Amino acid sequence: MSDEKIQGYARAILAVASAESNGAQIEDEIYRFSQVLQSSEELKSTLSDASIPSARRQQIVEDLLDGQATQTTVALVSMIVAAGMGSDIKAIADRVIGLGAESRDKAVAEVYSVVDLSSDQQQRLAAALKSATGKDVEMKIIIDESVMGGLLVQIEDEVIDGTVRTRLKQLREAF
Amino acid sequence: MKKRLIFASVLAGLILTFGLGGNAMAAGESLGKCSVDDYVEKYGELGLTPENIAQEENINAIGEIFDSCIEAPSPIIPEINEVIWGGGAFVVLLALMLWKGFPAVQKIMNERSEKIATDLDEADKAKSEAQAVKSQYEAELADAKSAAAAVIEEARQQAEVLRSDLQQRAEAEIAEMKEQAAADIDTARERAMGDLQSEVSEIVVGAAERVVEANLDAEAQARLIENYINQVGSN
Repeated sequence: MSDEKIQGYARAILAVASAESNGAQIEDEIYRFSQVLQSSEELKSTLSDASIPSARRQQIVEDLLDGQATQTTVALVSMIVAAGMGSDIKAIADRVIGLGAESRDKAVAEVYSVVDLSSDQQQRLAAALKSATGKDVEMKIIIDESVMGGLLVQIEDEVIDGTVRTRLKQLREAF
Repeated sequence: MKKRLIFASVLAGLILTFGLGGNAMAAGESLGKCSVDDYVEKYGELGLTPENIAQEENINAIGEIFDSCIEAPSPIIPEINEVIWGGGAFVVLLALMLWKGFPAVQKIMNERSEKIATDLDEADKAKSEAQAVKSQYEAELADAKSAAAAVIEEARQQAEVLRSDLQQRAEAEIAEMKEQAAADIDTARERAMGDLQSEVSEIVVGAAERVVEANLDAEAQARLIENYINQVGSN
């Protein structure tokens, strides 16, 4: 998919979200759905399969998000899948949260952790990241058991890795 | 032709010698006539009569008469007629021999001589040719021996070169094999060390992971997050 097309879809979704009162929630739901999609190859291939009728693919999206997201989010994701861009949901979602944060003069910080962070931890982490990078950030907490412990933060192309997984990997390489 | 001439000459000589020789003997004086004539002559000289003829001295005298009559001919001197006939036959035979025999014999002898000379020449020629062939064979044999010796020498030199080459190649292969074996040993040792180190690290890290996992409770997770926040904020 061309970058212009992804960019266009992202701007369209942001326009819809900005028209709604819960625009930030819509962005977050779309982002989280893309993360779920990345963890399931079967679901990803199903939503990307052009041989499956678009109505069927839309029905799958609606069934998955029923009660889990706003109607606007369901409608937007359903629209993306019906347009045959199921394989580009992750790129579109990343572009959506990036453009959304950019519109608010912030950067997106993807935080990988085994456990969820409390609001206090998130605030102090945001402050620490601003201190380290000089950027205000919007954090996206991603629960990932593979990090084993600690945190991994990715802001655009910059990665700050403090996970137990990486420490053990360094230990293994040290031998 | 020659044989017939020789046979005719011999036959003529036999006829002249024996056939005509018999006539010469028949022409001689007989023993009986000699006895009668001598007896008549002696009878008158001795005064023999029928009365005294039986006396012993007269008988002896008569015996001497007869002995003188039958005196033997000379063993050395032949009879004249034999000499004549024999000489004639000899002359005839000699003439025949000179006229026909000797030229024929001479011709045969000449032919024989020429044939022998020719044979000798041919024999000499054959001998010369055989000698030449022998010399050629000897030369060829010498050449063959020389060539064989050269071939043997060349083969020996080639064998020596081949042996040397094989020896050098074998030594090079042995050296290469030793070097390869040493390299293989080093590689195997390094691999074993690497494997051992990997296994050791796997064991150590695995043990560390198990220890860490066992101790990563909620409190530890919170402490790790706090440490991370503090570390990032201090940068």
